[in-house]
Amino acid sequence: MERSEVESRVNKVVAKVLKIEESDVSKDANFIFDLGADSMQSMELVAGFEEEFNIEMDEDKALNVQTVSDAVDFIVGSFK
Amino acid sequence: MTEKKEIHLRNLEKLFYPDSVAIVGANKVQGTVPHDILKSILKADFNGVVYPVSPKEKFIAGIKTYKYVTDIEDPIDLAIIVFPASVCHMALEQCGQKGIKSAIIISAGFKEVGPHGLAKELQIKAIADKYDMSFIGPNCLGVINTDPRAKINASFARQMPEEGSIGFLSQSGALCTAVLDYAQAKHIGFSKFISFGNKTDISEIDLLYYLKDDPKTKIILMYLEEVSDGQALMKAARDVISESGKPILILKSGRTKEGAAAAASHTGSLAGSDEICDAAFKQAGIIRCSNMEEMFNIAKAFAYQPIPKSNKVAIITNAGGPGVLTTDAAIHDGLELASFSEDTTSILKKNLPKTANIKNPVDVIGDARIDRYNIALSAAFDDPGVAGVFVILTPQSMTDIDLIAREVAKVSSHYDKPVYTSFMGEADVQEGIEVLQRNKIPHYSQPEYMSKAFAAVYNFSLNHYNHVKPAKYADIHPEITSAILNNAVHKNSDYLTEETAQKVLAAYGLPVLDSYVANDAEQAVELAGKAGFPVVMKVLSDEIVHKYDMGGVVINIKDTNEAEKAYNSIIGNVKKLRPDAKIKGVLVRRMIPEGVEVILGVKRDSSFNTVVMFGLGGIFVEIFKDVSFRVAPIDKKTAESMINEIKSSALLKGARGSAIRDIPAIVDSIQRLSQLAVDHPQIKELDINPMIVLEEGNGCFIADAKIMVTLNKS
Repeated sequence: MERSEVESRVNKVVAKVLKIEESDVSKDANFIFDLGADSMQSMELVAGFEEEFNIEMDEDKALNVQTVSDAVDFIVGSFK
Repeated sequence: MTEKKEIHLRNLEKLFYPDSVAIVGANKVQGTVPHDILKSILKADFNGVVYPVSPKEKFIAGIKTYKYVTDIEDPIDLAIIVFPASVCHMALEQCGQKGIKSAIIISAGFKEVGPHGLAKELQIKAIADKYDMSFIGPNCLGVINTDPRAKINASFARQMPEEGSIGFLSQSGALCTAVLDYAQAKHIGFSKFISFGNKTDISEIDLLYYLKDDPKTKIILMYLEEVSDGQALMKAARDVISESGKPILILKSGRTKEGAAAAASHTGSLAGSDEICDAAFKQAGIIRCSNMEEMFNIAKAFAYQPIPKSNKVAIITNAGGPGVLTTDAAIHDGLELASFSEDTTSILKKNLPKTANIKNPVDVIGDARIDRYNIALSAAFDDPGVAGVFVILTPQSMTDIDLIAREVAKVSSHYDKPVYTSFMGEADVQEGIEVLQRNKIPHYSQPEYMSKAFAAVYNFSLNHYNHVKPAKYADIHPEITSAILNNAVHKNSDYLTEETAQKVLAAYGLPVLDSYVANDAEQAVELAGKAGFPVVMKVLSDEIVHKYDMGGVVINIKDTNEAEKAYNSIIGNVKKLRPDAKIKGVLVRRMIPEGVEVILGVKRDSSFNTVVMFGLGGIFVEIFKDVSFRVAPIDKKTAESMINEIKSSALLKGARGSAIRDIPAIVDSIQRLSQLAVDHPQIKELDINPMIVLEEGNGCFIADAKIMVTLNKS
C-alpha cells in the first residue's frame, strides 16, 4: 500500500474517532496535545487503525505512537 | 540563599496569588481531573481570570477555550497542567515560551511508575530550569489558597476548606482529601493547602521558607513520606521557628528498621532510621506527631488559643472520674495543677454547692448548669496562678450542653489565657461541640488529649531553636586522624585495630589511656609493669570485632603472674575459636578505676548524614537501649540534652546517695566526637563502649573503642 493512501485513511480514522474535521488533522499533530484525544479515545484510535488496516498493534509499541505521522509509520512498517 | 531558591520564592508568590490562571489540558468530561479542577476554581469564586486550554473544545462551562496556551493574548501568572504525563513536557515548553513562571503539574505517571517516568520527570525539570519557571508536582492533588485576596482552589479536592491560619503541606495527594474532609467536619481552617507530590522542582523546603513569611500562616503542618535532605530540612525548620516563631508539626510515615539489621556496631544497630528522624526533628524544634488526630489536636491549640505563660492548669469538670483522668494525664505530660489563691477559693466556696470540690480539679457536680460553669471558669481565669483552663463536661439529663459551650466561648474571650475543652460522649454533646468548634475553642474527644496539646504548645514556647554553634577545639590534630583513616581506606581495612582507634580518638583530645602492644608473654609482663597494675589485656586482630565473645579480653590483672597467664589465655582462646584470625598482638593498658559505664557512638544516615549516640554503656547497652541521638554538629547545650534525655541519667547525677559523676567531661567528649565525625567522612561507624565516667572533677576514660571505615568501593 502506498504511503499516501495510508496517510489519507489514517486521517479519516482520526477525524471520525476524535470527531474533528479531516482538514484539522495535520501530519505532525500529537493525538493528545494537538487533537485533544483523551485516554478512551486513544484506545479507540488504536482499535480504529487495526480495523481499517486489518493489522494488530502491540500495546507497548502503540504507546510510542503519539502523532499522526507515528501512526502512518507504524502502519506502513507493519506491511513490510 | 541559592539563586534557584530565590526564583522559587518569587514564583511561589504568583503561584499562590495569581491574577490569571491557565488550565492546560482542560476538558468537558465530568468526573475527570481536568474538568473537576476547572470546576473547583469556578466554585471557589477565584479572584482572577481563568483561561481553559483545550486542543479540541471551543468552550467549557461557558468559558472560551484556547487551543494552545500561547494563543492567549493576556499574560498568565499560573499554569495548571492536567495533560497526561506523555505530553506534559510539550505543555510546559509552551508555558515557558508564553513567559509563565509558575506551574502546578497535577498529572501522574512520572518517577513513581519507574525509569521511563523518571526520564520524563527529568525532562520537565530541565524545561522549567531553562525558562526560570517553578512548578509544584507532578503527581499531586494541587494547591489551595483560602486568602480572600486569591480564593483559589487549584485542586481536585471535593471542597474548598474554611479560611484559617494553618499551612498544610503533604507529599501524599490522597491523604490531603482525607485531611480536608476531617477538617471540614471540625471547622478547622487553612491558610494554604499544598500537595507537593514528587517535589521535582519545588520541595517541602522551599514551601517551608514561603510559609515562614506568609502573613496568613501561623502554624505549619506537614505529611512526609521520605526525608530527602535531612540537613536542609533541619536548617529550614530552625530558620522558620527562630525567625517567625511558627511551629512546625510533621506526621512522618515509614518507620522502618532497614539498615539497622545489617549494622556491625552497637550504634548502628540502635540507631534505626526512625530513631534518627525522631532525634533530628526534636533537635530542630519540629513537633513530630504519630497520627492525623494528634497533629490536629496540637494544631488547634496553636492556631486558636494564646500560648500559656506557665505549665499550671485549672481543671473544671462536672464528673469526678474524668477530672482524675485529666489530672493523671496532666502530671504525666509535665504540667502542674495550679494552687488556687485565697480569693479564688473563697469565690468558689461561696458560690458553689457544699458538695462541690473547690480545689483543683474543680468538680461543679453532675447537676451543674451554665451558672456553675460560669463561676468556676471566671474564678479560674482570674486567678494569677492559673495559666490555662481545661473544661470537661459529661452529658447528664439536666446539663445545658450548648449553653455551657457558648459560656465557655464567651468567658474565655475576655482573657489572654488558653482554654481547651472535652465534652465527653458522642451524640448528645455534638451540638455543644459544634458551638465550640465554630467559636475556635479547641475541643478534644478524650480529656487527656488536652494536656498533651497544652504540653506541646508550652514546651515549644520554652525552647528557642537557634542554629547550632559547636565548640571549636584548638587542641585537635586532624592531620594525624586523616593520615590513619586514609591509610586504612588505602589498605582496604574495614576496621581500625583498637590501638589505631585509640590514636584517632587521642588526636581529637578524647580521653584515652596510654597503651602498649605485646607480642609474647614475657613482653606482656614487662609492659604490664610499665603501664602500672592493675591492667587489662585485649587481643589485637582486624578480624575480631567483638573481643569479649572470643575470650580475647582479660581485666583486672593484678601482678606479673596473672599477666603471663592472661596473655597465654587470650592467645589460646582466640586461636581455638577463630583459627582464621590474624593476631597482631595483645594490647596492654592500665585498668581504669570503677565508674559509670556509658557509650558514645557515631553512625552515618542517608538523610541526616552524621548521627551521634550517647547512652548507658557496657554489656547491657543493647538490652536496655537507654540511648539518645542527635544529628552532628553538636554544641554544648545539645550534648547536655543528650545526657539528660536518657532514663538512667540519674545514675550520673548522684541518685540514691551515689557519687555525682563528671558530666562536663562527658559533654566535652560528645562535642569532640561530633567534630571528629564531621571532619572525617571516612569514619563509617564508631563505638566508644564503655567510656568510664569517674566522680565529679576526675574526668572519664575510654576503655574500648571500635572504628569502622568507609571503603572506597570503586
